[in-house]
Amino acid sequence: MSTHNVVELTNVSLKSDRGDQIFDNLNLTLESGQSVIITGEAGAGKTILVELLTGQRMPHAGSVEMFGKVISTGKKSLLRTVRRRIGGVGGIFELIPSYTVAENVAFPLVLNGESRKGRREKLLRTLTDFSLLKQASQYPSRLTRVENTMVQFARASIASQPLLIVDEPAAGLDPKSMDWIYDYLVKVSLSGRSMIILSSEFPVKEIPNTECLEISNGALV
Amino acid sequence: MTRLGHILKELGRNFARHWSTVLGSLMSLTLLFLLFDLFWIAAGTSQSFYDRLLADLQMEVIFSEELEDKVASGAADEARTLEGVLSVQYISKEDARAELSRLVGTDLLVGYDSINPLPRSMILTFQPGYLTSTHLGQVEAELRQVKGVDEIFYSRDWLTKMENGTQLIQDAGVVLGLLILLAALISSANNIRLMTQTRAIGFGQMRLLGGGKFFLAAPFLLEGLLVGSISAALGWAVILYAKDEVSFTQFDIIIPQLKDVGIFVAACGVLGLISGYLGIRKLLR
Repeated sequence: MSTHNVVELTNVSLKSDRGDQIFDNLNLTLESGQSVIITGEAGAGKTILVELLTGQRMPHAGSVEMFGKVISTGKKSLLRTVRRRIGGVGGIFELIPSYTVAENVAFPLVLNGESRKGRREKLLRTLTDFSLLKQASQYPSRLTRVENTMVQFARASIASQPLLIVDEPAAGLDPKSMDWIYDYLVKVSLSGRSMIILSSEFPVKEIPNTECLEISNGALV
Repeated sequence: MTRLGHILKELGRNFARHWSTVLGSLMSLTLLFLLFDLFWIAAGTSQSFYDRLLADLQMEVIFSEELEDKVASGAADEARTLEGVLSVQYISKEDARAELSRLVGTDLLVGYDSINPLPRSMILTFQPGYLTSTHLGQVEAELRQVKGVDEIFYSRDWLTKMENGTQLIQDAGVVLGLLILLAALISSANNIRLMTQTRAIGFGQMRLLGGGKFFLAAPFLLEGLLVGSISAALGWAVILYAKDEVSFTQFDIIIPQLKDVGIFVAACGVLGLISGYLGIRKLLR
């Protein structure tokens, strides 16, 4: 078992292109199996935090360590490896428009070099779990908002990625779908996968083993 | 194997979704390469025609009247040692008379039994690589140093004009070739860029999920490679078909060897590969 933390942000400072301070000495540690809910107002920097965690942005100061590897050096091969271990939903994570639902969901397995047989089995299981069998051959443009979110969850789970990042999980969803999603997040939390949930408001349902933090004035409190 | 399968599937998807762009690219490249092939054939054919004419080129050296036979034949021996000389045929006054008699008949030579105004001469032929105005000029200069050489005749002006003409064709070929290759490169790269631009969001997501540069670029590189080599092969197919349909009686059309055609097709494939890279380069930054 790895002893590295899943996420280790140390004194991260980041300025916008205009020079505004977005993060100032931001620190965050997420151990394996641990989950955190990060709330904050719109524009507080939640999505930018996701960009930092996925190596899409580099901090001006401090270090970003994911799965024991410092990705703030910007080393491409390292970023590839780390990104393959992250499942993302919402925010910057979108579906690939030219792929069908099945291809979108199976994409992380393709990147991991999974055999065709293994891929097919996992895909079938995942599509069944997320009730997406009927939509398997459809393209994202034909999906409803709920279906789109479901496909993203399915993609973020198919390869048992150790970290699940969910950006605004309830955005634009009806109460029934929100219920389903919170139930799913509870399941993930209990499964031992690490999870970062970013939301403008506190979740309506309690998610066990999950710490709540707030981004305020560029720091996590 | 999974990733290779995915790359090939993506390639097929590119062809299927953007078939009109791919077809347009294939057709424009085929026409460009066809133009290049035609110029290649024209250059090869004219070179072969020129070589054939050149092979008949001789240099005739006339000895002065006072020169003794022995000295003249010695000069012929000396000429044999000159660089690039293939053969030297010494023609004595008697040989010249016999040749003239063979050409015009004996009737015209009546009354010239005791007088022979024909000069001694020698005819030089040259090895193929030495049939240049520069080399023949050097040989001429050396022969003029030989005692008793009176006149030297060969198609000096014709040779110079032919050499200039051939050089012009070669230079034009290089310029035209470069222009065609550049046009092919730009055309193919633009088509691929057009295809990738419609998929920018998808590429962004693939990278976010951990897709590497090569993984994303490979289908487009392969597409460039295939379109480039198929276009070049199609160009040659058209020419080989047309060659069987058209025949010339005046001269043979010189088609490059299969090996050279193969190298050309492979080179066009590499050109396509480069255009694929140029097409997708911005998206991979």
